[in-house]
Amino acid sequence: MVLGFRAFQGKHTKRIISHALIFIALLICWESASNFGLLDEYLYPKPSGIFHSFWVIYVKNASIWHHLWVTIGLVLLGFVGGSIAGVSLGSLVGFNPTMRRFLQPYIIVIEATPRIAVAPLLIAALGFGIQSKVAIIILVCFFAPFINTLSGVINVGNDKLELFKSLGATKRQILVKLVFPEALPTIMAGERLAMTAALSGALVAEFIQRDQGLGSLILLYSRNLNMSSAFACIFTLTVLGFFIFKGMEILDRRIAFWTYEAGRIQRSNKKARKTLNLLEVGHG
Amino acid sequence: MDRTSGTVTLLLLRAIPHVIIFLSFLVLWEISIILGWIDNIMIPKPTSIAGSIFKLYVTQGIIYEHFFITLCEAVLGFCIGATIALTLATISSLSGVFKRYVIPYAVVLNVTPGIALTPVVIAWFGYGMGSKIALGAIVSFFPIFVNTLTGLTQVDEERDELFRSLRANKYQMFFKMKLPGSLPMVFAGMKIGLTTALIGAIVAEFAQATHGVGVLMSRFSFKLDMASSIATLLSMTLIGLILFYSMEFLDDKTVFWRRENRLTITSRKRKQKWLKANSLKR
Repeated sequence: MVLGFRAFQGKHTKRIISHALIFIALLICWESASNFGLLDEYLYPKPSGIFHSFWVIYVKNASIWHHLWVTIGLVLLGFVGGSIAGVSLGSLVGFNPTMRRFLQPYIIVIEATPRIAVAPLLIAALGFGIQSKVAIIILVCFFAPFINTLSGVINVGNDKLELFKSLGATKRQILVKLVFPEALPTIMAGERLAMTAALSGALVAEFIQRDQGLGSLILLYSRNLNMSSAFACIFTLTVLGFFIFKGMEILDRRIAFWTYEAGRIQRSNKKARKTLNLLEVGHG
Repeated sequence: MDRTSGTVTLLLLRAIPHVIIFLSFLVLWEISIILGWIDNIMIPKPTSIAGSIFKLYVTQGIIYEHFFITLCEAVLGFCIGATIALTLATISSLSGVFKRYVIPYAVVLNVTPGIALTPVVIAWFGYGMGSKIALGAIVSFFPIFVNTLTGLTQVDEERDELFRSLRANKYQMFFKMKLPGSLPMVFAGMKIGLTTALIGAIVAEFAQATHGVGVLMSRFSFKLDMASSIATLLSMTLIGLILFYSMEFLDDKTVFWRRENRLTITSRKRKQKWLKANSLKR
């Protein structure tokens, strides 16, 4: 613990300080460039302007919160729907070779289609409102989990399968104890991709249906040439994207813990302790 | 000769059930609309989709202009994004300090959904092709950057040892070991980048544009002309397929050693060339 802390203090702080210095220098350059009129302030907002609009939209007017929650809700709703559909269909197709053979050409075609492009069609078909937005996100984040579940289910090692069969495992045991754990890391990788896609999908849906949400807010601000507020929204999205990224990573570590060295050690230690406890209790 | 014709007939035989299923699906679709089970406006008949494909491509021929504009936007955006990504990734693989200071910004760019920049990019570069190209470049930057960087930094240790034991200098190490070793990864990144560049171009067209497939699509769907908008969607698929397969072709040509038959063909060619050159010298 102490050793780790010391190492952190030494090299790490130096690096962080130099990173911060460079970042601040960049900001100062940018600020002075727009103060001296080298950059057009309307199009390329000053850092101080962006900070000011952060303050305005978060604290003074507090106008962003509603849009932020709307977008987060949309992303989560669409992501859950899309990933459930993707994983279930993917495993269905993965277990069924005939179906796989017949669906393959369609999968290739759908993979080549930019799926966000279906957005106007869906809006026309389902009408304005939340249902078409969620449908767009589901469509956008359906594909990565689908493909990854498919490949995860197909690529179960033959040796392992043979071992299971030779030990007389039932179909259900093979599914629960072999195929599912084997495919889970790949599925989780697909879910990560889907989550990022869901955010983009929500933005596109909001660009087209400009009633509420961060996407419509960005569009509104940049139409009004209020670029500093638009940038404040974009940086909000950066933070949101970062949290989504980290959240998916933590989820991945929790669920598919055996793909990570540390997680595996931790889990096996826990299990060992549990068995030891049980043994002691048994002895007592 | 005989063998190839055999494989062709085998392929055709295999395709028959696919075609039958596809056709019966279409017929079922058509019938269910004619009988009124499905709403005709929301989900158009296959025949009317085919009709509007014919109208778009042959009788009116309006799609070609939009098609090529979107294709150009995607390709140009990809080229710009790829050039920047390849340069930055190469420099950061050569210099640890540069890498350390570039990566945080690249990560920030990755975490931000690039599509969020659409309105801003349009305000910067105008309603024309420029904004679509710029968005394509922004969106396609990161996958190429990351793949090139990992490809160039993850070197096989045995290869590295071999090169060092043969006293390869730095240039040789780079051009003969790292660069060829990274090419599969680079091409995988470029494939992703090309598709994302197309998505970027289309989304920018949705937001604001005068020409392009995206504009055509949103016009048709807001007129509730579903058959034409599905036809436009299919031409977007066509663009995607063209881009993907041309990248695949380039991949095949450049990274020939990954596919067995390409490897034998190329090595045979090189051997003949070498033999010719040597015999001429003698």
